[in-house]
Formats: sequence, C-alpha cells, structure tokens
Amino acid sequence: MDLLDDLVTLLPELILVALVLVIITVDLFLPRAEKWLLTPLTVAGLILAGAACFVVWDINETVYSGFYVVDDLSVFLKGATILTGILSALFAPAYLLVRRIPLGEFNMILVSALLGMCVLASSSDMITVFLGLELMTMPSYLLTGLHKTDRYSNEGALKYFLLGSFASAIVLFGVAWTYGLTGTTSVAGIASALDGEMSAGILVAMGFLTVGATFKIAAVPFHYWTPDAYQGAPTPITGFLSVGPKLGAFALLIRVFAEALEPLRADWLVIFLVLTVLTMTVGNVVALTQVNLKRMLAYSSIAHTGYIMAGLAAFANATDPGVAAQGIEAVLFYILGYAVMNIAAFAVVGMLQRDTTRFGGLNSFAGLATRAPWRAAAMAVLMLSLTGIPPTVGFFAKLYILLASVDAGLAWLAVIIVLNAALAAFYYLRVIVYMYMRDPEPEPAPIDTSPFGSVALALSVAGVIALGIFPGAVLRFLEESAASLF
Amino acid sequence: MDGFPLLSAIVFSPVIGALILLFVPGTNHRAVRWIALGAVLVSFALSLLLLGYDPAGSEFQFREDLPWIDAFGIRYTLGVDGLSVVLVMLTTLLSVVAIVYSWEPIQTKVKAYYATMLLLMVGMLGVFVALDLFLFYVFWEVSLFPMYFVIGIWGGPQRIYATVKFVLYTLVGSLLMLVAILAVVIAHAASGNSLTFSYEALRGFAYTDSLQALAFVAFFLAFAIKVPMWPLHTWLPDAHVEAPTAGSIILAGVLLKLGGYGFLRYNLPLLPDAAISFAPIIIGLAVIAIIYGGLVAMVQPDLKKLVAYSSVSHMGFVMLGTFVFNEQGLQGAIYQMISHGITTGALFLLVGVIYEQTHDRQIAHMGGLNARVPRYAAMFGLFTFASIGLPGLSGFVGEFLVILGAFRYNGLVAAAAMVVVIISAVYMLWMFQRVFFSVPSDWMRKWWPSLRDMNRTEWIALAPLAVLAVVLGVYPGPVLDMISVPVDRIIEAVNGAGLTGVGPLW
Repeated sequence: MDLLDDLVTLLPELILVALVLVIITVDLFLPRAEKWLLTPLTVAGLILAGAACFVVWDINETVYSGFYVVDDLSVFLKGATILTGILSALFAPAYLLVRRIPLGEFNMILVSALLGMCVLASSSDMITVFLGLELMTMPSYLLTGLHKTDRYSNEGALKYFLLGSFASAIVLFGVAWTYGLTGTTSVAGIASALDGEMSAGILVAMGFLTVGATFKIAAVPFHYWTPDAYQGAPTPITGFLSVGPKLGAFALLIRVFAEALEPLRADWLVIFLVLTVLTMTVGNVVALTQVNLKRMLAYSSIAHTGYIMAGLAAFANATDPGVAAQGIEAVLFYILGYAVMNIAAFAVVGMLQRDTTRFGGLNSFAGLATRAPWRAAAMAVLMLSLTGIPPTVGFFAKLYILLASVDAGLAWLAVIIVLNAALAAFYYLRVIVYMYMRDPEPEPAPIDTSPFGSVALALSVAGVIALGIFPGAVLRFLEESAASLF
Repeated sequence: MDGFPLLSAIVFSPVIGALILLFVPGTNHRAVRWIALGAVLVSFALSLLLLGYDPAGSEFQFREDLPWIDAFGIRYTLGVDGLSVVLVMLTTLLSVVAIVYSWEPIQTKVKAYYATMLLLMVGMLGVFVALDLFLFYVFWEVSLFPMYFVIGIWGGPQRIYATVKFVLYTLVGSLLMLVAILAVVIAHAASGNSLTFSYEALRGFAYTDSLQALAFVAFFLAFAIKVPMWPLHTWLPDAHVEAPTAGSIILAGVLLKLGGYGFLRYNLPLLPDAAISFAPIIIGLAVIAIIYGGLVAMVQPDLKKLVAYSSVSHMGFVMLGTFVFNEQGLQGAIYQMISHGITTGALFLLVGVIYEQTHDRQIAHMGGLNARVPRYAAMFGLFTFASIGLPGLSGFVGEFLVILGAFRYNGLVAAAAMVVVIISAVYMLWMFQRVFFSVPSDWMRKWWPSLRDMNRTEWIALAPLAVLAVVLGVYPGPVLDMISVPVDRIIEAVNGAGLTGVGPLW
C-alpha cells in the first residue's frame, strides 16, 4: 500500500485541514460587513468532509505503520463530530456578532477542534491518542475564552486550561507507565501484552488513564471545571463544548479502555460502575437547584456523561460478545442523539441572549410560548428529549443504554438510571413550566431570529423527532461500527 | 373492510385533526373547535365499527402488524380483544364529551388547547390497542405529557404544583416499568427466542420467580400510581382540583383506566406467578383504598375533591375485582371501570357547570340549588345515584359483581368492601343534600339572580352519558358478553396448570 492510497483513507481529515487554511485566508480578505459569509463557507466545507466519511466507510484498515486506524467505528465518530461542527457553526454567528467576537477565528478554531476529535477517533496508538487529545482540547480552551472582554469567559477558560493541562499530563503519565509495562504504545500491542493478569504496576497505569480520561468527559468527581467553563463560554460555544470534546473523550475511552485495556475489563468495570452512579446522581441533584439555564444544562451534561458511561460498563460486564457490542452501540447512539439535542438546547438559550446583558437565567424563558411559539415548541421538544420521553431520540438513546445494561446483567444500574431520569425530569420540565405556564417578564429579553440559527434549530428538532420514531436509520451503521472492535 | 387499518385510523384521526389545526389561524376559535370536534367524531364513528368484533373469538382481532425497528424486534402491532373494544369506545365517547364541553369554558389559547387534547387522545387510544410492549410504552408516555400541559396551562391557581406532582409521580412509575419491560423481553430472548417486544409472544413464557417478582413490582408501581391506588393516590386530588373540567373528565374517565387496563393486560397474563403471590397484599391495599377513599370523601369541603376521592374508592373496587382472580370479580372490575368512566366523567362535568358560573366549588357555599336550577339538580341526582350504585344504574352492576367475586375469595374482604356501599351513600347523598336542598348560603344568594340552568352545549355533552348510565344499569348483557372471553383468558393464565406463585415473598 503506497502513500497515496493511505492518503485517501484520511479524506475527511484532509478536508478539515484544507478548510482551516481556507477560512484563515478568506477571513483576511472579507470586509467586516461580509464576515457572515464565513458561516456558509465553513458549513459547506464540513458537509464536504461529512460526505467524505461515506467514501471511507467500510474500508477498515490500519495505516501509517499502525498509528492510525480507519475502521467503521472511527468513521462513525467522525461523522458525528462533523455533525456537531455543522450545527455549532450555524448556531454561533448571531450570538458572536452582537458581541463583536470575530467569526473567522471562531470557525477556524472550531474546525481545528473537530480535526483533533477525528484524529482521536482514529488513533490506534497511544501517541496518536495523545496527539488527538491535545489537538482537540487546545482549541477548546481557546473557544471558551473567545469572548476576550468578558471576565466570566476569561475565568472559565483559565480554569479549563489549568485543570485540562493537568489532566492531559496525567493521561500522558498513564501512557508512559503503560509503555513501561508492556513495551509498546500500540493499542493492539498493549491489549495482547496484557494477559488479564492484574499487577500493582498495571493498576497504577490504569488509575492514571482513568483519572485523566474521566476528567475529559467531566465525570464526577473530576467535573469541577465544567460549570464554570460552560457558563463562561459564549453560549453556542458551550453547546459545542458540552458535546464535542465529550464525544472525543469517549472515543478515547473506547480506544483505551475497550481496546487497549480490554483484557482487564473486569478490573476497570468496578471503577466505572462507581463513577457512573456518582456522575449521574451528582449531576442531576446539583442541576435541580440551578436557576441559570447554562449552569443547569452544564450539570445535566454531567448526568448524561453518567448515562453514557453505563454503556461502557455494560460492555465490560457482558459475557457474550453480542451483548458487549450492544454496550458500545448504545454509547455511540447516545452520543449522537445527545450531541444534536444538547447543542440545539444551548442554542435556544443563546437566542434569548441577544441582549448582551442577559446571562441565560430561567426567567428569560418565562412566557416564551406566547412570544415565540415555534422556538418555545422546539425547546419543549428538546427538553422532553433530554428527559427521555418518546417519541424523541433522547428516549431511544436511553432505551438503548437500559437495554444494554439489563442485557449485561446490570439491571440494578438500569433502575438507578431511570430514577435519575425521573429526577432530571423535574428540572427539564421546569423550563417548560416557565415557557408555557408563566407570564412573560415585564421587559422580556429580545429574541434572535437570524436565519442560520432558525434553520439549524428546525433541522435539529426534526432530527430529534425523526430519529426518535425511526432509529432504524442509523442502527445499521452502529452495528458495523461496534463490530470493528471485535 | 378487509385491509383497512381500522385501529390505526381510530388512533390517529385525532393527530390528523391536530395537524390540520396547525394551519388554521389561532384567532378563529370557531373553526378550531369544529375541526377538533370533527376529528374526535371521526374517531368515535370509526370506533363504533369495532362493534363488529366477534366476542367469541379468543384471539386479538382487527390486527395490524408492520415492521418498525427490526434490529430490536420492535413491531407496530395493534389489535383488540373485548376488553380493549369497550375501553376504546369509552375513550372516544368521553373525548367527544370533553371536546364539546370545552366549547365555552376554554377561551384562552384555544388552538393549543384543542391540539393538546387531540394528542392526549392518541396516547390513550394507543395504549388500549398496542400489542407490542415498546409501542405500548410509547403511547403510555404520549398520554402523559398532554395532560401535563392541559393542567399546567389551563388549570386553576395551584396548577403548576399540581401538574408537576402529577407528571413526576407518573414518570417514576412508568420509567421503572420500562426497565421491567426490558428485563422481561431480554429474559424471553435469553432462552433462545429471537428478540421481540410482541405481547403475544411474551405472554405465556415461564419467567423465573425472582424476575417475575421484581418485574411485577415495577409494573405494579406504574399502574398503581395511575389507578391511583392507596397510598400512591396523593397526586390525584391535586390534579383534579386544578385541572380544567374537560381535563378532569378525561383524567377520571380514561387516564385512570389506563392503570386498570395495565393490570389486566400485562401484570396478570405476563407475570401470573407473581400476581398470585402478591394478590393478598394488593387486595389488602384495595380494601384500604375503598374505605379510605370513602371516608376522606365524606369530609371534603370542595365538590371536586369529593368526587376525586370517591374515584380512589371506586378504583379500589376495580383493583379488588382484578385480584380475586375469578370471573365475577374480573368482569365486575372491567364493568366498574366503564361505569366509573361514565358516572365520574359526568359528575366532573356537572361540577364544572356550576363552577363556570360562580368560580367556586365549596359545598358550604352552595345550597338550595334545586329550587333555582331544577334540571341541573335532576341530572346531578341521576349521576349521584349511579355513582352510589343504585340498582338499575350502571354503578350497581360493577360493584355487585366485584363483591360477589370477593365473597368467593374471602367473606371478610367482601364484608369490608360492602361497608363502603353505605359510606358512599353517606358522602354522596349528604353532598347532594347540602348542595341542592338545604337553605342557600348567603354567598350563593349573591349569585342567585344570575344562575342559569344547563345550556345546550352542556346538554349535548351530558346526554349520551345519562343514557349510558341507565342502559348499562338495566342491560349489562352486551358488555359482559364482550369481556367474557378476555376474562376467561386472564383466569386461564393465572390459574393455569401448576402455578403456585413465586414462593414465599419474605
């Protein structure tokens, strides 16, 4: 296989790289009044990259001396990544422009982060894992602090950066330790060097990897950076941060834990079970008391992390490969559904922050149903979907996780998940109460009605409902994706 | 009619109505109301075609079966037996009543109101005809959220508290049921069967004792909260008091029946061993509910709360009849559900008539209404007696059969349940006397000149219920014929050969 053939397998990544360069260049020549053109440009590029995913589907090859793998799992994750990118690029401009945050920088940094996530999804070597991780998180720090004149944005970015670098260092240390024990950095090599025998050294390595990785997905007790970073970041960017880096981090978890450390899955299962239960419960309980919607959604995103981790726990606890695959499929489906609904939910919060002095308080949603019936209806659907009510994608995603858990013999975990879902219903429904059952404020917040955001919102909601009723459309892709792990 | 998807048409014609409503300007209240009425009338008319159901057939009829989510073995399967038929017809009828009654009381956000009511009907009808557990669960949740909006938007002053309580209670139960559904489905698949959510396939499978016990508890919670069964009933009085009248009619008339239906359709046939083991406990709870509901109803100062607590008592009869596992008890339970839907729906409607005029429901504030609004008093009297269970009216048949069934189970239980016949006479008649015959209160005198008797819309809404209350009271045959085969099948499932219960529970 020569270099050129290998390059074809990188088509989505190459398009993203080209897109970054194009955005930088075009941004230089666009007059201020026409900067909005960057959005359709970025979206077009991302759609192209998404189309490229179909080209590399079903290739299933390891390229570049085993450093990079293009299997269906990675391609699925890349597709989901690019989807989050498209939605974010569409939702952001209105919010950024009224705050005079440069659109060109945003788009370019966003695409860089997407590139990092794609690399992470495809990494078959610990070095590539780390490379992808950094390529994803560095732009994320920048995005958080993109609103340079806002001190909350600065604070969030600083916290995210300091704690994030710390976590990256811990991951790196874990990688180094693993290398010391197994003599290889290749994912497959580690898996074959570990014969399922536990030792103190492996425990240390696993500990470091777990702490670093769960920091990135914001699992309790490594979640403290999340609410501040999420609240400080510009709202549509928060939407991206709450799913994008999380998607990448779960790609990392799958690569490291479900592949490299697969022989030890009975050992890390215990840690994961504890973290899963803690994460969803703490996230939900704290979210109950939030009156700022950005903070509420930030804590609720921690809870969703817990649900997704339950899928990995199901993978680890399964004795039958079919059931284990189901756990991974559940994780993938949940990430996809969650990405769409959460980005859209944050976007609606952002739409109500057209007035730059608004911070996304629950009060700004009061009486929204009479002021903006379509946006209120969209938000209601998103909230029901986040709660997990049929017929929405959130329901089917939760069902998938529950099915995988019960199938893997973790019925008690399923019960904890549904009790948490009921808890979450309380604060998600509170948004609906404000929108539909309360009168508007005396001076209601102005609402952004720019076309990009409206189209993206309509598409997201349509997707949330359509995937909820006909999830079969993506199930085939999921099965093939999960199959590439076995 | 071969090949015509009758059940889908019944279930989804309200959706079509709701979709049409999207394109009607919200300010044109008249058009909105007529479209909504048209949609439910279509649904009702189509449901009359279900009378072509063959009561002797032992399988589900009018079946529809389409693939849906193949990877999970989920199918779009609909079908009815006699039990579903009568409940579907009750639902479509009460939907018409609710839509007609809302004609005048609902004047704000009219379009949204009717669209929500129509969606609510889809959920309820779907629950009664779904034969796939996944589909059933979807409809179950779809029936929950429209009611949340109806109470929360068009309800009384404490509506937000009431509706959040309602939805959280119900959600906890139904989510646990979801886990139980999955557990049952997976247990069935684990023994070599293909993964399926089909009710007909899952029924009659021998699940292990521990699974049965746990799944039974989860199903029980979901349905018992909906029924609602003492001590899980506390959301009901709040929800009723705050709900708009039409919401109360649907809530009492149909939503509570979803719980009763769930027991009959899922708990008993799917998990018969657990049902046998848990029966004594549930019968105990049912007897408590019957007496407790009656006693609490007696002291309610609020007319609507009184009717709400009487529902707790009446639905206790349904639970009692269900869990004595004999023909009389089960037939009585189903009959009681139908009768309760009609009489309580009508009573809520009648309470609404006076409430619309005075915006007050305190019994102490009323009095002497018989002199001012005699026709209203007469109708109220009719349904009061039907609710008490006076022979010749619908309430009697159900209660009588349940008590008969209870006697075959245990004389003491029956005797305890009998007491409530007296209690219910006390609270209903005492209420009736205070509202219609005693001296009008000073408060009521203020309204005296402006009080009107029932108007045309109210008559139209009430008339079918009044006719049914009498007809079902004197001629229960057709309904009992309809439900006799399903009842036999349930008894067969529960008393099937070799069933001994899931063993000692503790």
